[in-house]
Amino acid sequence: MDWITNLFNGNTLALIGAALAVFLAGTGSAKGVGIVGEAAAGLVTEDPSKFGQALLLQALPGTQGIYGLLTAFVILNQIGVVGGPMKDLTTIQGFYVMASALPIAVVGYFSGIAQGRAAAAGVGIIAKRPEELAKGITFAAMVETYAVLALLASILMIFGINL
Amino acid sequence: MAIVKMNKLSLIGLESDKDAMIECLMKMGVVEITNLEQKIAEDQWADLVKRDGAEDEVACFDADITKVKSAIDYLQQYDKRKKGLFEPKKTITYDVYAEMIHNLDKTWEVAEQIGKYDEQLSALRAEENKLSNLTGTLEPWRSLTVPVDITSTQATMVALGVVPVLVDIDGLERELYEQVPESYMEAVNADKDQHYLSVIYYTSYEDKVMQVLKQSGFSRVAFKELQGTIQENITKAENRIKEIEAERSQIEKRIAGLTGEKDQLEILHDHLQVQKDRKKVLGNIAKTEKIFMLEGWLPAKNSEKVEKSMREQWDCVLDISAQDAEEEPPVLLENNAFVKPFELITELYSLPNPKGIDANPFMAPFYFVFFGLMISDAGYGLIMAILTGIIISKYKLQGLAEKLIKLLFLGGISTFIWGALFGGWFGNIVDAVTNGTYTIPPLWFNPLNDPMKLLLWSFIFGGVQLYVGMGIQAYKLIRDGKALDALFDVGFWYIFLTGLVLLFLGGTAATVGQYMALAGAGLLVITQGRSQKGIIKKFMMGILSLYNVTGFLSDVLSYSRLLALGLATGVIATVVNTMGTLFGFNVGGIIILIIVFIGGHAFNILINALGAYVHASRLQYVEFFGKFYEGGGKAFQPFKMNTKYIELKDKEAI
Repeated sequence: MDWITNLFNGNTLALIGAALAVFLAGTGSAKGVGIVGEAAAGLVTEDPSKFGQALLLQALPGTQGIYGLLTAFVILNQIGVVGGPMKDLTTIQGFYVMASALPIAVVGYFSGIAQGRAAAAGVGIIAKRPEELAKGITFAAMVETYAVLALLASILMIFGINL
Repeated sequence: MAIVKMNKLSLIGLESDKDAMIECLMKMGVVEITNLEQKIAEDQWADLVKRDGAEDEVACFDADITKVKSAIDYLQQYDKRKKGLFEPKKTITYDVYAEMIHNLDKTWEVAEQIGKYDEQLSALRAEENKLSNLTGTLEPWRSLTVPVDITSTQATMVALGVVPVLVDIDGLERELYEQVPESYMEAVNADKDQHYLSVIYYTSYEDKVMQVLKQSGFSRVAFKELQGTIQENITKAENRIKEIEAERSQIEKRIAGLTGEKDQLEILHDHLQVQKDRKKVLGNIAKTEKIFMLEGWLPAKNSEKVEKSMREQWDCVLDISAQDAEEEPPVLLENNAFVKPFELITELYSLPNPKGIDANPFMAPFYFVFFGLMISDAGYGLIMAILTGIIISKYKLQGLAEKLIKLLFLGGISTFIWGALFGGWFGNIVDAVTNGTYTIPPLWFNPLNDPMKLLLWSFIFGGVQLYVGMGIQAYKLIRDGKALDALFDVGFWYIFLTGLVLLFLGGTAATVGQYMALAGAGLLVITQGRSQKGIIKKFMMGILSLYNVTGFLSDVLSYSRLLALGLATGVIATVVNTMGTLFGFNVGGIIILIIVFIGGHAFNILINALGAYVHASRLQYVEFFGKFYEGGGKAFQPFKMNTKYIELKDKEAI
């Protein structure tokens, strides 16, 4: 039963945590950006001059993916995969690290999609009232708050664990 | 430093002076002419005056402007001259302009000529489309040698048609010959959808032939308007398309030859625009047979000049007075050079209510600090400040663009300051390149090493801003003569919240805090239910109001984004540096390093500047403005020369 031992090896768990942060938050962002892109493409067919504004809205749900990557990088940095020899983690330390990746992973996934929806609705605003772009951005940014909070929780947890 | 005080203007003049007076008002460009339509519909006015207006002329000008505009757009495509991103308007003095507009007949002809070329081009385009559609449908039949206009001879019929691709052609042919030996079928072509068939048969057997064919889903195809073979028709169409292309490039060359007229066209466009506006404003004013009347708003400080200028030139009744209480004047903001760019943030939200408070002077310092804190990299700050600084010094920007660029410039400076405080220079670039030998020490502390400290400071910044917001609300209440409300709704909250904060500090402060919090809570319970009737309801509402403390808590926690976004920039920059130095410091490694640095840091600046703008704005809109701000103001839109391409310098302008 070697693989069970390997699976519950601290380093494996920590890396799974880093991977979760990247892949869940990244998937959320990809979906969100995709949703806005579809709406924006429809608008640009009608009025190509609104490309810049639409692109701004499309960039908004992209941040969750960046937060996920960032969390993963902090994890990799803390366990020494990047910039130094990899530390030997105990199983419990591994679980700590994995747990600290969860906030941004899960919230990143769902908030990315939700923010994508809000931003896609914002595309409707620039179609009819381009001068009100800031309000569309604000609605989407309200969603992002929770991704920021999750990122904060993740980072504080990682920095707080003694490795 | 606030909302500009507006005066109300009403003017009655002679109909014969009307055009000159309106032109003068336009040149001065400081008066917003309000629409009198509603007022003169009231009974006391309706019998005396009627609405002026020149809708027909406006429509006429509109048509002309559209024509000139499309001519300009056409020439734009052929204009080889380089254009910057921020092309300033050409400045022309009014005298030069006045002379130029006498020579615009030729320019008008150019615009009409381009309009004609446009029509020719679209006719050619339509014809080309039709022809290429035709060749598309003919193409599968190309190998058919029988001319398409021959559909019958004396005794036979020729039928062209298609069957679905699934049909077994050999089987169909065999069946047809079995049933009707006196027929001939040829499969001309086949593609992924259908077979193209040509069938010849005796006229008398038509029913029988068709019966067989219909079973296989045969549907007839006819080329009614064509003559000759398919091949001939395709060649003819292709030749015509070539001719069309030649004609088109001929016309395009002629249009390109007119690009020299573009500057004149632009002047013509603006000239028409100005004249249209002058006619359009007539819709806002009232008249009788001999006189006209208009009303409007103007900044109080310009009143004297306008009054003098009008009275000197014409006989008129002019009254400029301070605004009444019930009227809502348009809103014009006036702030110093530091605060001005931040007006953009409020304008995008909503202009302040004319009786409210201009939030910009209070908001600007916070926005400045927060924007920088959320990027906090000295290198990025320098790049932003230098790039926007160059744009500011090289181009004369106006309106929103000017404010945006200046906002980014100030943001860059703030970013630089915070970066230096936190020791972020393109992340840890010096550290990464020298392999840890050198580091630029932070002037204050490095948030990556002590995130809790910065988190605490974020909450402190947030608390300060919220207190300021509440303070403004108190000021507004006191100004409106509701001093008690200010004490109850803001003063008591100050006591309660400050007490709660002190509780966390420990020591003597905690004891003081305890009493303050209790006293504050007690006072709030007593006062917050004051609008309710009945002692029990008052008490219940008072208790419930304490629940609002969660609102304050979430407001303060919201400022944690200052830390999160600041850390994000730093960490991404570090990732970029780490990736760049992965390949060592040989020749190839250094090339990769430079590419990764430039690309990675440029990306990081862009994404984080967007993030900082969005989140700094949100903190103002939701947390700060929520405490006191009243929006809904209407922007002051003075009647002036509203030009698109040229800027008129006029000595009469104020």
